[in-house]
Amino acid sequence: MFLTKDEEKIFDGEMGEAQAIAIRLLVSIGEINGADSLIPIKSAHISGVSYKNIGDGGMKFLKKIADRVKVPTTLNPLGFDMERNGPVEVDRDFKEKQLEIIKTFMSMGIKESFTCTPYYFYQKTSYGDHVAWAESSALIYANSIIGARTNREGGPSALAAAIIGKTPNFGLHLDKNRVADYEVEVNGKLDYSGAAALGLYLGTNYPGKIPRLVGFNYLRDFELKAFGAALAASSATSMFHVENRTPDDTLNRGKKFERIEIDYNQLKNLMEEKSSSEKPELIAIGCPHLSKDEIDYIASLVKGKKKDKDVEVFLFASRETIKNSLESVKIIEEFGAKVFADTCMVVAPLSKKYHKTAINSGKASFYLPMKEYGGQEIIFRNFNDLLRWAVVDY
Amino acid sequence: MIINGRGISPGVAKGKIALCDDYVSPLGEMGKDGRIKSGKCEDLEFKGKIFAFRGGRGSTVGSYVLLELKENLTSPIGIINEKAELVVLTGAIISGIPMIDGIPLNILKNDDDAIIDGKSGRLELLNVTQKDVSTVYLFHGDRLLVLHRSDKVSSYQNQFSAISGHIEEGETPEEAGRREVLEETGIEDIEIEKTGKPFPVRWENIVYMVHPILARTKSDKVNLNWENQEFRWIHIDELGKLNTVPRLKEALEELMKL
Repeated sequence: MFLTKDEEKIFDGEMGEAQAIAIRLLVSIGEINGADSLIPIKSAHISGVSYKNIGDGGMKFLKKIADRVKVPTTLNPLGFDMERNGPVEVDRDFKEKQLEIIKTFMSMGIKESFTCTPYYFYQKTSYGDHVAWAESSALIYANSIIGARTNREGGPSALAAAIIGKTPNFGLHLDKNRVADYEVEVNGKLDYSGAAALGLYLGTNYPGKIPRLVGFNYLRDFELKAFGAALAASSATSMFHVENRTPDDTLNRGKKFERIEIDYNQLKNLMEEKSSSEKPELIAIGCPHLSKDEIDYIASLVKGKKKDKDVEVFLFASRETIKNSLESVKIIEEFGAKVFADTCMVVAPLSKKYHKTAINSGKASFYLPMKEYGGQEIIFRNFNDLLRWAVVDY
Repeated sequence: MIINGRGISPGVAKGKIALCDDYVSPLGEMGKDGRIKSGKCEDLEFKGKIFAFRGGRGSTVGSYVLLELKENLTSPIGIINEKAELVVLTGAIISGIPMIDGIPLNILKNDDDAIIDGKSGRLELLNVTQKDVSTVYLFHGDRLLVLHRSDKVSSYQNQFSAISGHIEEGETPEEAGRREVLEETGIEDIEIEKTGKPFPVRWENIVYMVHPILARTKSDKVNLNWENQEFRWIHIDELGKLNTVPRLKEALEELMKL
């Protein structure tokens, strides 16, 4: 791999140990993957923020690598809402360690932006931008819906890229690796959860392959967000296309692909198989974090209604999204649901209080049932079905 | 036997193989106690072993999970992937866990004694030997010859196979193929049409490197030797219905695509 004189200096440790570790990590990754050089990035997004995820080992690594970031950098959610606390109590040790992690990130010049949807409000990312994003749901959104270019960075490699301001040039930074591998058709119309179920199905059965969805022009961006999040959770796939819709679909023009036809009922069954039949203790919405449009839509559904007192309803979004949706948030809180910022259902230690959680997210349906991680019995349905439990006289 | 993959994270590891023929999300699936917590490989212990799995999936936080396991002394001592992706790869590098990829998992078994070199990509399986075999798919018109192996042969007794046998020292795969056809069927006039890429098949403590060959003959008269109990000239669609040796159908399909 070719390094400039300045990059070599960093590599040799002339700019300090943190930068040396960062660039050495990038160079190893680049060399393994046949990159020719490092290329400048416009932004970075870091996963591995919650103490629940990175642990003491991760904290040590962060301190070693802590240096000023060279590009706008955002952070993933953490274990609790910084302002209102919750959604569940965390113990003092957890909280102290979490605050120490945040302090380390802030000392590096990283934005206080604890969200898995940095593309709403925090990051101004445009078509063709090279970026280094971790958080699988965010990077697949960036590649597919925005048309920016990022590999599936691990938390540490995204951090290293932020510190150097560059990333190795390989994989999804190159046109030739962004072309679809196969086409997908479904004989029925999908909603948010149906799209997520399709993501799980494709991730499980065609791992690592880039799908091109045919006949899905009716899906809105937040539904594609749910699809991508489920696809990227259940596999290492980091990109998808929607025919005549997503910006890089032009790369597929004139090419022929194997076409897979999926029966709508198969996706319904997949959701059923994951679902327990018992009434949930909690309905958790916002994995990935909600957009302003989603919050407004939910507000329109629950406006003036009364929440069943036996079921909690928690929504998750970024602090900026909430600030920009105050009217709707007020309606939702009056209904009796709670809207949390900075955290989410996957990284908060939910199982300290809840064991039966209803969700409409395919990504959450991948993580929450894991015994040691989420510890939840789940119900995976679309939002309207979930509301039946939450609203009195629905 | 020795097989060369690609070096990912430097260092040498020696130990037992823990095999999971699936993709693994380090976050959520690799437990702090050194065992797999959910999915197809639930309960598999990777702690202190060379953990072989297809590749990573799921959360990009997975890199930190490997670091945490290492701190906790419950990490694998080495990692083998079929194809590495960034999350596991980064985790291995920052945790100093030797890692290689480019190894087909079907040559491995749980508890194999292995040494991996994360710099060169070399994998040595101490308890496994490699043997090269020729497998001839012999066609007469559109019919394929399959042989029902006897119970006296050393492997895959009573299963259906193509004409197959060891490649002796100094022999090319084609020469071995012609010799085996003659020995097992008595057929002399064969015309080799093409040869495919060799692929490994694991049987007990042997990895057979199978060299597939597609050949044609004008004769349909078969004289079996002791190695087989029955022969059939079948249409290739019937192959799926027979109890065959591993990958017989898949390898033929690949060969025909060439």
